[in-house]
Amino acid sequence: MLPRSKRFSIVLLVIVIMTVTAAWKNREGQSSSLAVTFHHKVGGKDLVLFDETYTNAFNEPFSINKFRYYISNVEFVDKDGKKKILKDFYHLVDEADSASKRIIFNTSGLQQVVSIEFLLGVDSIKNTSGVQTGDLDPMKGMFWTWNSGYVYAKLEGQSDSSHAPLKYFNFDVGGYKPKENAVRKIKLNINIQSLPTRGIVIDVDVSKWFNAVHPIHINQTPICHQPGDLAMQLADNYATMFSIGEVKQ
Amino acid sequence: MKAIKAISLLLCLTLIGAGFIAVSKPKKLKFVVPKGWPKPLYDFKSNPLTQEGFELGRKLFYDERLSKDSTISCASCHQQFAAFTTYDHNLSHGFNNSLTTRNAPSLQNLAWQGDFMADGGINHLDLQPLAPMTAPNEMGESIESIIIKLKRDSSYRTMFKAAFGDGTINTQRITKALSQFMLMLVSSNSKYDKVMRGEDSFNLPQRLGYEIFQKKCNSCHTGPMFTDYSFRNNGIPLDKVLNDYGRMKITHDKNDSLKFRVPSLRNVAVTAPYGHDGRFFSLSNVMEHYRNKMTVGPTTDTLFKNRLPLSNFEIGQLTAFLYTLTDTSFLNNPLFAPLGYYTTPSFMHNH
Ligand code: HEC
Ligand code: HEC
Repeated sequence: MLPRSKRFSIVLLVIVIMTVTAAWKNREGQSSSLAVTFHHKVGGKDLVLFDETYTNAFNEPFSINKFRYYISNVEFVDKDGKKKILKDFYHLVDEADSASKRIIFNTSGLQQVVSIEFLLGVDSIKNTSGVQTGDLDPMKGMFWTWNSGYVYAKLEGQSDSSHAPLKYFNFDVGGYKPKENAVRKIKLNINIQSLPTRGIVIDVDVSKWFNAVHPIHINQTPICHQPGDLAMQLADNYATMFSIGEVKQ
Repeated sequence: MKAIKAISLLLCLTLIGAGFIAVSKPKKLKFVVPKGWPKPLYDFKSNPLTQEGFELGRKLFYDERLSKDSTISCASCHQQFAAFTTYDHNLSHGFNNSLTTRNAPSLQNLAWQGDFMADGGINHLDLQPLAPMTAPNEMGESIESIIIKLKRDSSYRTMFKAAFGDGTINTQRITKALSQFMLMLVSSNSKYDKVMRGEDSFNLPQRLGYEIFQKKCNSCHTGPMFTDYSFRNNGIPLDKVLNDYGRMKITHDKNDSLKFRVPSLRNVAVTAPYGHDGRFFSLSNVMEHYRNKMTVGPTTDTLFKNRLPLSNFEIGQLTAFLYTLTDTSFLNNPLFAPLGYYTTPSFMHNH
């Protein structure tokens, strides 16, 4: 047995060495975490719930009450081509909850991250294996109870072009079955210069819901409440709404 | 000094004892697959049955607080003596004098069923309770409020802890406990089952009825579950008010128009009215439908191209056979009644 004082100093030494090496690693490579912030916009303007009126590509005016979507299966690739996949990661981004719009990812083990890939939606296994917890808890209101399955993304608001009751337009998109699978894979390349990246902002342009791959007119289809053709078209459209904005170094 | 030692020893012992109680594991409940039955589809590994989980599920099933105005429990629409259908109701009564749009089906042998509802829209037993809990024409409540109400009740906190190891009450645990109760609702002890096990024998009409059944009904109402769980159109015309196209609502495929799940005929003698919207008030109505009234449309099952000819004689014998599917030990099992009752008490027949 070593005397007490010696034991103490050994422990201290180990701690010091560990801290120094950790700091050193951080300095030369990627920092061990990456903050991703989702910045919601409509065309050129920032998204404001309820109070702001926007117009889509077809000159239809609209305001937005709710904007939410699931991000899952995030995958990072670093400059050496090394991949890190976050399995079992499901996150609900909600415009009404600012904390949900910023995610700090653990990217330890990676060098500079050059791309981020994720699913917009929820894989079929989680759609078919009963009641989940956390962000996937059906209590979050992103689940169809009469036709089991997650709503992957929701854009709800009001528009004078809508013929639905109270001029609502409700786009609730989901579906996991073949032909109705509305999960979309998003891949974004991060243009980096030389310094390690500590944070990125992903710009999210809501106006793409109406016009990207397919034209979606509020006056023709104000309501999407189930998987199917309209949900698939909306998903094709909103899959294009993401782009890398600011990169914090 | 001695006294202090003795006291501290005693204290230690109680603490250890309390620790044991706190971590005492829930008691495993055995799920018995009746002889000759297929393998259950429910994934018991994801929700192992325990005595405590079952008891919690039973309490939830009979608890009216799951509805918005605390008047409707699962058992209001699913009554044990009627094989967990709503006795004598074509449609069931929901929150605030509303009506369901379909007839409440029996709840039995659910471990063998892969999807639920007459249109198969619900893909997991654990998910099923969320539909009635939140539907405005059933219990009309939000999951958040249900959780708040349950958390206020200390007996629930204790029971959740006993069933799941800690006192957390969430959507997943509520629904898993309800599943544990519903999974145990196995009906496999009717006269028919006893005959098949060689413990009893059919009388003549029952035996003749069984033979007719094998020829004319068994391809859809396949034993031993008395359903093949498929969705079929048995010639029921559209009701213009309910406008219910069945399976098509889920698949969006017009070939599925007016197809509904083939219901199990176990305990059929006590589950009237019949059909997905309860339009048939008696078995003889159903038989009359099969032989005379059926509408043969584009999606009607090919077996019914010429309807389903049945003589009066055959109907009598078929009915005699169908009555052998009644399982009184299931309908009267005190385990499935609310705690403290031998069967559903009459004050719960509230509609
Ligand atoms: C207001 C009446 C009502 C209440 C309350 C109610 N149910 Fe039901 N239940 C129904 C009806 C009607 C159906 C059939 C629905 C359909 O086919 O579309 C059904 C279907 C089911 C099924 C599917 C059975 C099958 O064979 O597909 C299960 C399981 C079930 N209910 C369990 C429950 C549980 C658990 C509760 C309590 C949380 C509950 N029900 C509360 C009326 C009710
Ligand atoms: C082609 C498949 C098929 C055949 C053959 C068939 N049925 Fe059915 N049966 C169904 C379907 C589908 C339903 C459900 C209709 C609905 O929900 O509206 C049903 C419903 C019933 C019901 C109502 C049960 C309930 O709980 O609502 C009874 C009783 C019944 N059948 C008896 C019979 C008998 C007896 C025979 C043989 C003479 C028979 N069926 C043959 C498909 C079939």
